Amino acid sequence: MTHARDALEVEAIQTDRYLESLLTGSAAVAPDPAVAAAAGRLGRELVRVHPSFRFEDRLAHRLAEVAASIRARSAGGPEALPIQLLPFPIDPGLDPADPSLDAEARPSFPRAGPLLVGGAVASAAISIAGAAFVAWRLSRPGGDPLAMAGRVADAVRPNGPGGLP
Amino acid sequence: MGDPGRRSGSRVVQLDADRPLVEAARRDPGRFDALYRKYVAQVYSYAYYELRDHHDAEDATERTFLQALVALPRFDERARPEDGEGASTFRVWLFRIARNVVSNRRREIRRRPQAPLEAAGAIAATTDLQAGVERRTEASEAWAAVDRLPADRRRALILRFVDEMSTQEIAGVLGRSEGAVRVLIHRALRSVARDLGVDGR
Repeated sequence: MTHARDALEVEAIQTDRYLESLLTGSAAVAPDPAVAAAAGRLGRELVRVHPSFRFEDRLAHRLAEVAASIRARSAGGPEALPIQLLPFPIDPGLDPADPSLDAEARPSFPRAGPLLVGGAVASAAISIAGAAFVAWRLSRPGGDPLAMAGRVADAVRPNGPGGLP
Repeated sequence: MGDPGRRSGSRVVQLDADRPLVEAARRDPGRFDALYRKYVAQVYSYAYYELRDHHDAEDATERTFLQALVALPRFDERARPEDGEGASTFRVWLFRIARNVVSNRRREIRRRPQAPLEAAGAIAATTDLQAGVERRTEASEAWAAVDRLPADRRRALILRFVDEMSTQEIAGVLGRSEGAVRVLIHRALRSVARDLGVDGR
C-alpha cells in the first residue's frame, strides 16, 4: 500500500516536472505517454480568454467609484459618512441569507449604481433597497414541494419555531 | 541564519512580485486599477472555464475584484524564498476569493441546470470553417472531460493550464499541500487521457 502510494507520488513529481518544462519551453522526459498526450491536448484546448473591452472598462469604472468612496471614507469627509453596501441580492436565485454560502463570497454589492451615498440620497437608497428586497422576497416562487413540506413540518414540530409548547 | 537581510520580515515581503502595486493600492485605492488590469483576464478565464458562460464569468469577475479591493487592507503577504522569483501571494489571495465566488455560483447553477459546454465552441471558433468544426469538436471533448472531473482536480487543471500557475500557487489557492496538488493533477491527467482515449502512441 505504502509502496503504491510512493510510486504514485514519484509519478506525480515526474508529471509536475514535465508540465513545468512545457510552460518554460525546456526539454524534459515525458512521463506516462497517456499523461503526456492528455497534457498536450489540454495545453492546446484550454487557452486563456479575455473579457470584452466593454466589460473590462465598465468594471474599471466601477472599481474607481468604490476606490473613491474608500478614499473619502478614510479622509472622513462629510460626503463619505454613510457608505452603504446595499443588501439586496444581485442574483434573484441567490439568497444572501443562505447559510450554505461561503462568507467571503456572500453577495454584498449592488450590480450598479453609486456605492457612496450621503444624507437624503442615502435614505432614499435604503428605502429603494428595502422595497426591492421585499418585492424580491414576495416574487420568489414558493420553492419545490419538498422544501415547502420541510418548512411545514418544521413549523408544526414540537419545540420548533411554530411548534406546540 | 546570520544574514539579517534574509530574516522573515523584509526578505519575505520583498519576494512578492506584486508588492509595489499592492503597496500603492493600499496607499491610494485608486491605484488598484493596475492590479485589476494585470489580473482581470486570468480571473475571468478561470471563471469562464468553471462556469462556461460569459455573463456568469463577468459577474464572478466583478464580485472577485470588488471584494479584493475592499479587503485589500487585510491582505497578508506570505511569499517564501522557495516560491521563487515572480511569485505573487497577491495572485494566490485573489484567486482564493475567485474560487469562493465561482464555487457559490456553480452551486447555484447546479440547482438550476443550464445548457453546458456551449462556450467551448465559442472559444474554438476560427475563421477557417472546416478546421473550425474539428477544432470545436476537439475543444468540446476536452472541456467535457475536464468538466467531468471532481471539483478539486478540475480546478487544479484549469489553474495549471489556463492560468499557468505553479504547483505552489495552486496549493495556495486550493488550500492543499504541494504534494497533494501534484497528485491531483497527475490523477486528473490520467482521467482525461482515459476519457479522451489518448494513449500517446
